[in-house]
Amino acid sequence: MTAKGKDVLHVGIDLGTSRSSISASSGERHVVDSYVGWPVDMVARKVVKKPILFGREALENRPMLDLHRPLERGLIKEGSEKDEAAVRELLKHLITMAGGGEGKKVQAVIGVPAEAMRVSRQHLRTAVKGVADALMIVSEPFAVAYGLDALLHTMIIDIGAGTTDFCVMNGRYPTDDDQRTLTHAGDSVDDQLMLLVRTRHPEARFTVHMVREWKERKSFVGEPPQPVVVTIPVKGKPTEIDITAEMKKACESLVGPLAETMLDLLSRVDPEYQERVRNNVILAGGGSQIPGLAAALERALGEVGGGRVRAVDDPVFVGSNGGLAVALDAPEGDWEMLPG
Amino acid sequence: MEDLRKLKREMVRQAVRENVELLEGRPPSALRRARPLRRLAGAAALVVVPLAVFASVNAIGHAPSAGPEVVVVPVRPGATPEPSLESVPWPRPRTIDPTVFRLSVGTVVIDPGHGGSDPGARTEDGLSEKSVTLDVALRLKALLEGASYRVVLTRDADRQVPLRERARVARESGGDLFVSIHVNSIPRPDGGGVETYYLGPTDDPAVRELAGSENLGSGYSLADFRSLLESVYVDVRQSESRRLAGAVQERLVSALRPVEPALADRGVKSAPFVVLIASEMPAVLAEVSSISNGEEARRLAEPAHRQRIAEALAKGLTDFAERVGRSGRG
Ligand SMILES: Nc1ncnc2c1ncn2[C@@H]1O[C@H](COP(=O)(O)OP(=O)(O)O)[C@@H](O)[C@H]1O
Ligand SMILES: [Zn+2]
Repeated sequence: MTAKGKDVLHVGIDLGTSRSSISASSGERHVVDSYVGWPVDMVARKVVKKPILFGREALENRPMLDLHRPLERGLIKEGSEKDEAAVRELLKHLITMAGGGEGKKVQAVIGVPAEAMRVSRQHLRTAVKGVADALMIVSEPFAVAYGLDALLHTMIIDIGAGTTDFCVMNGRYPTDDDQRTLTHAGDSVDDQLMLLVRTRHPEARFTVHMVREWKERKSFVGEPPQPVVVTIPVKGKPTEIDITAEMKKACESLVGPLAETMLDLLSRVDPEYQERVRNNVILAGGGSQIPGLAAALERALGEVGGGRVRAVDDPVFVGSNGGLAVALDAPEGDWEMLPG
Repeated sequence: MEDLRKLKREMVRQAVRENVELLEGRPPSALRRARPLRRLAGAAALVVVPLAVFASVNAIGHAPSAGPEVVVVPVRPGATPEPSLESVPWPRPRTIDPTVFRLSVGTVVIDPGHGGSDPGARTEDGLSEKSVTLDVALRLKALLEGASYRVVLTRDADRQVPLRERARVARESGGDLFVSIHVNSIPRPDGGGVETYYLGPTDDPAVRELAGSENLGSGYSLADFRSLLESVYVDVRQSESRRLAGAVQERLVSALRPVEPALADRGVKSAPFVVLIASEMPAVLAEVSSISNGEEARRLAEPAHRQRIAEALAKGLTDFAERVGRSGRG
């Protein structure tokens, strides 16, 4: 059977440390937490009734699973066959959810953390072999920029869980000179917040999952929009604790490093275009949703002549939408050079 | 926006080129330093361009191995947070070893409390916790092996083994269940009885004190301890351990009551014992009697009574193991 006879499904995938999403040419969009788990033995398999579990479901059944979060810290772990398999299964799962099944020819663009692109792209390419009929790997900030048509004189700051990726778009395909990666990101805010709250309330019992939830609901930089009060068991009794100061400090731990890196990258832009880039700083990724963060970075730009920082409207799908746009724009002849 | 269209076409072309390079096992161009943008080439040149670029690069002899730029920039936050993050190890969401929750029980790890220069609790006439726990452990081992379980002991002689070492032995032996054997000492007139602990927080000051004394010299810092606890509260091992504790306690009480009608059933409790945290499998700590109670201490000196205790522990463990096996098969 020739491939020509099949319907083509184009997909863009954002393969994230904590969340992965897919946007398909059919209009389907899906998002899943980046967890993959296999039942540990036959008994576990009978209990969970599936050969493999993903996302929330995997997390909830973790006692019975060999659980993997394959892109911890933005990298696929070297030499871990299980992590490679997890990446592959996660991608297949997303593609299946988006309707890429029998009789469809799937052409996929996969956006990955910039750090994975840099350090383990060869490895990644091997790992994703076979998940689609044709596929391309791009760095996540590039996919975001492409999807927003922000290819000229812009800076993308993608604040994910494990890393924050910076990328200046200057009308060329981004090189290493145009990119930076920091480990100050969502997870580091969680760590800070956990440490700060625990230091002040050593008796309180809480987990990193709870901390992340508080952050996702109540994060802020600058003036608190409202007091941040959470309920934590203290000596077994649910107790209300005000963590406004801790939340502020933890979230603001991003501002210094992000501002410094932003200004450093800016200083390397051709002086002729610096002002335009300053006025086109775009925050993406889950961390872009922290209220007040864009304003704080804008203030930092004030030191060098002022500028504008805005957060994307749809942090969940902006990357996969961008990947889909690349997939649709790539000529058919090009896809033939990129077998899955 | 003709310019934008052109720009996009060029970007896609470069993305494709990089991926073709990748497929051919070549170092991608973006890993090298930026080069001036090539003029936009016609669509027909698509296939030719990547090969031509590499041919020329190699001809000139630019080693593609010129290492990638360091992109991870460690940036110090404006103010160093106090206390420093580095000083405390954080529990990360971690990959859980499947052997931790294996649903069928094959290997039981028995941990005789104390040993060597650490005698544990003692009576005035010289009966020490460390010798009772070892004796009961050896009897339990024989019973379990007779029932086709593999058994691993954390100590098999009168020597001191740090709690940390015990936990390591447990983990590395691939154990499915862990039982730590202790003898209580309750400093109250008529204080006595049996109780079984699983890992968890406690509100009870007496229990906290007991945990403190059993954790002494564990080799864990407070920070280790906190993060170990942290990793446990999120895991289901706690509920498995509670069930195991229930099974053990029930058997202990029903085996000892006939010979000690006044025996106090002190029940199943949770407490933060270090060995229970670090062993990474369903784990309980049984205080199989109280050496501070005259009657119980006298009994503990009898081999037949220690055998009775070992049999009760064996029954409790196998009750649990069989229940797990059954519920799995069902
Ligand atoms: N409303 C929010 N406020 C602050 N942080 C958020 C919010 N929503 C998500 N996050 C954080 O963003 C991070 C995930 O971002 P995402 O772009 O999905 O990461 P990745 O691409 O690394 O999977 C997590 O640390 C998450 O806690
Ligand atoms: Zn003891």
